[in-house]
Amino acid sequence: MSQRSLSRLQLHNLHLAQARRTVLEHIEGDFQPGAITALIGANGSGKSTLIQAIMGELRPISGEVVCTVAKERRAWLPQQLALDLTFPMSVEELVMTGSWPSHGAFTGYCAAHYRKGRDIMARLGISHLAHRPLGELSGGQRQRALIGRTLMQEAELLLLDEPFANVDGETVDILISILRQMADEGATIIVVLHDMDHLRRLADEVLMLNGGHGRWVAPSALTHQHAPAQVVPFSLGGRHAGSA
Amino acid sequence: MLDLLSVWFISPFDYGFMRRAVVGGLALSLAAPPLGVFLVLRGMSLIGDAMAHAILPGVALGFLLAGFSLPMMSMGGVLFGLMVALLAGAVSKMGGQREDAAMASFFIISLAAGVMLISLGGSSVDLTHVLFGSILAVNSTALLLIAGISTLIVVTLAIIFRALVVECLDPLFLRGQSRRSGWVHSVFLALLVLNLTAGFQTLGTLMAVGLMMLPATSARFWSNRLEGLIGISIVLAMVASTGGLLLSFHLDIPSGPSIILLAGAGYLFSALFGRYHSLAAKLRRKTTPLTVEQVS
Repeated sequence: MSQRSLSRLQLHNLHLAQARRTVLEHIEGDFQPGAITALIGANGSGKSTLIQAIMGELRPISGEVVCTVAKERRAWLPQQLALDLTFPMSVEELVMTGSWPSHGAFTGYCAAHYRKGRDIMARLGISHLAHRPLGELSGGQRQRALIGRTLMQEAELLLLDEPFANVDGETVDILISILRQMADEGATIIVVLHDMDHLRRLADEVLMLNGGHGRWVAPSALTHQHAPAQVVPFSLGGRHAGSA
Repeated sequence: MLDLLSVWFISPFDYGFMRRAVVGGLALSLAAPPLGVFLVLRGMSLIGDAMAHAILPGVALGFLLAGFSLPMMSMGGVLFGLMVALLAGAVSKMGGQREDAAMASFFIISLAAGVMLISLGGSSVDLTHVLFGSILAVNSTALLLIAGISTLIVVTLAIIFRALVVECLDPLFLRGQSRRSGWVHSVFLALLVLNLTAGFQTLGTLMAVGLMMLPATSARFWSNRLEGLIGISIVLAMVASTGGLLLSFHLDIPSGPSIILLAGAGYLFSALFGRYHSLAAKLRRKTTPLTVEQVS
């Protein structure tokens, strides 16, 4: 078997457009199990468009997305602002919804599911928040709860859009170690990043979007000559560049 | 004292129509408020209102064809309501216009068509009945219909409850979970239409939405939890529909407005004195003591 056939997700000569305007062209990609890929590029460079295409929400003009991961094992964590946080739901309830793929949306949860949910919350350090409504959480706590849902989901393909925006340092540390664990267990992770420090700590590979094209670069090529992350002159153009 | 209580609360139910109306009202109070709670949580509070107008042409058509027959009018209402919901959904999918904009366009067309149809075939008394309801008209057939629809709504809601919750919170997650996730929203809209058709007999098409929304918006001032919201709104709706019927009986006023005004009074009271987000809650200065959160 060749290495290629093992990959979870392949992009073949992908051409994507939004409202009939070409956003990305000739995108090639190969995402292996266990690899964390950082997706970087300025605002408007097509990161969200590419994620939409990978999630099957946007039909490519030409080329194809080949994904061997079942739809319910793909997890997509949008930017925090996309969620309605006034909704009266507790942290535990949110985490438990991740059990749907194995369990279905219509049957009740059993004790084993609750145990798994509690383990996950303990791993993320949010056990004491289990019954707290989402609306009362801080940004970091909420992000941990959302990651908890993807853990519950046993996601094999995980896409995260700026997971570290508005998140405290301790949470970033926990999330990075959890994401690394998930990758070690075989998950394929794609994460939109704006911060060079996070990129250096997390990414195995980098797909840089610029001017409608994608370029694969090694993380070291982006970071090795700039030792202190705070003064990286290379701007990724994002809102959060260097701010966390 | 006991006599007074009996005169006010017991003796009205010597009349068959009052008994039927109160049972119908209680059945509606079980089904309508949970729908309202979800509408409020989704920021779609006005959709209920729009749908209430949308069923009017169907009701009118049923009325023209079969006279004051509840099954015909309800069937017409359901058909028209579903049609408008489908059309609005289709327009918003097709043209990128938001669903509320499409809904607003269709419901105002429906309202005009409905009023036109009724005035073609009936008198202004009929129009008042359809718009504002009449408890006198609740016969056993109507009661069975109301109870049947309410049961259907409660059971369906219980089945799709969790999917509905997630659809409110994070539609993208739900869409990721299933290829056919769109049906959750459609089923919800269908339940809405069914509920409004069941309600128009006692409350009238325009008022039926009140029993759905007012208890739900009031409950928001008393609870921060979904179960709490649903429970409280059901209790509020039951009190309002029974009390409103009694008021309407004693004071000889139309049943729909008196039920809704009672629920409205409950809303104003909640907004002033409720536990959360109310005026009183704003003025309150008491808090729970600071606790050290232990990280496990």
